[in-house]
Amino acid sequence: MNTSSRNPIELVDRYLQAVRFWLPKNRRQDDLLAELGEDLRSQIDAKEEELGHPLDQAEVSEILKRCGSPMVVASRMGPQRHLIGPTLFPIYLFVLKMVLLWILVPVFIFIVGPVNLANANGNWPAAILNTMGGLWSGAFTAAATITLVFAILESSKALAQHECKWDPAKLPPLEKTERKTSLVQTVCELGFQVSALVWLLLIPQHPFMILGPAAGFLKATPLVHAFYLPIVLLWMFSVARSASILAKPEWTWLPLAGQLFQSIATLTILNFFLHAVTQSPKTEMFPFVVLADSARDSIHYIKIAAVVNVSILISAVGAWIGLSIATIIQTWQLLRHIRKNRSISHQAISAQAR
Amino acid sequence: MSPRSDQIPEVFENLKLELRRGCLTLAVLTQLRTERYGYTLRKALSDDGLEIDEGTLYPLLRRLENQGLLVSQWREEDKRNKRFYRLSPAGEQTLEQLLKEWQNINASLSKILQEA
Repeated sequence: MNTSSRNPIELVDRYLQAVRFWLPKNRRQDDLLAELGEDLRSQIDAKEEELGHPLDQAEVSEILKRCGSPMVVASRMGPQRHLIGPTLFPIYLFVLKMVLLWILVPVFIFIVGPVNLANANGNWPAAILNTMGGLWSGAFTAAATITLVFAILESSKALAQHECKWDPAKLPPLEKTERKTSLVQTVCELGFQVSALVWLLLIPQHPFMILGPAAGFLKATPLVHAFYLPIVLLWMFSVARSASILAKPEWTWLPLAGQLFQSIATLTILNFFLHAVTQSPKTEMFPFVVLADSARDSIHYIKIAAVVNVSILISAVGAWIGLSIATIIQTWQLLRHIRKNRSISHQAISAQAR
Repeated sequence: MSPRSDQIPEVFENLKLELRRGCLTLAVLTQLRTERYGYTLRKALSDDGLEIDEGTLYPLLRRLENQGLLVSQWREEDKRNKRFYRLSPAGEQTLEQLLKEWQNINASLSKILQEA
């Protein structure tokens, strides 16, 4: 973390960034921040005029300290709250969101839900209802506990001490402005994706390209053949996405939206794939690859086929978990991008109106 | 139920805030008969002895604008974008009424205080 910056104006920007973090995310946010920023710069100008020299970081820090900690300033600018006062309310909201959306929901989706389903003995509706009930009561208990803790904190005025102790020099460094997708990166991605698509299209005629020497004694099952076309289509979409990014770099939403769509589509295919595996007969030990007729009697080849099948299954489950997390993150990134763009266009409309 | 002795400063602060709130609105509206931007408005109020912090002023300006009492305009001055505020026609009318109300309250209060 860069706390040693000696640029006083950067300190103001870091301060505004910190205030933005605590402000409710709405259309007023940019407007209020623009005015607060202008006020602080005017104060700096006035002080410089009074002292006859540009302010150093300590002098700017003094102005910021007098203005108040970012959290407190944001709370004053926000709407009035009662049970939990305006000073604590932004932190309360932050903790509540963190616990409910980023801890409780993922724990129930990725741990409690699968465990309930595994122990359901086929009664999936009951397992899903049980999980939903647990999530509801867990969310209620967590929200009630957090509210109680903050209400107690509010009454003890613990935050008064924070206001005295805060130090502008410890503000987080400025976030980098949103980077545009680099040309080199997109061209490389496109090249790789086209090569991979060609490779994927050649596999049915040349299984050696995926199985290597094992192509001599292993062959794909009908299940794998059934999912071949959706995978090819998905990969084609990926190529089209990179080509569009290259052709239309100004569509800043495209990389994020395309990535999210691709993750959701992959997740859907994986879901069907894993579902189909669980639906296959219990005696079926080799859902993905089986031994070719010529190698059916070899114990050695049977062991290899078993290892390949287990590896594919583990990879598919791992990919499902990873993609589920990635989809949540990508959704959040896309929403943040849309929100940011809306506020920028709102500012542009205001500027045109001026 | 009377407040405990350790609650009295807090009670005083709350009452002071209530008292200031209405006065600040009146002072801001009065200052904005002349067009000003945030910092110069704060400075003018402070020079007349009425300190107001940034976190209070800007939401107040926004509220008064939403109520139709102020109009604002972003404009460049000294190579920086500033938001200038002034009273709207409705604001001028409301200010007149508020000032009359203020004078009545002030006169009554002075009378009450003299009697006490």
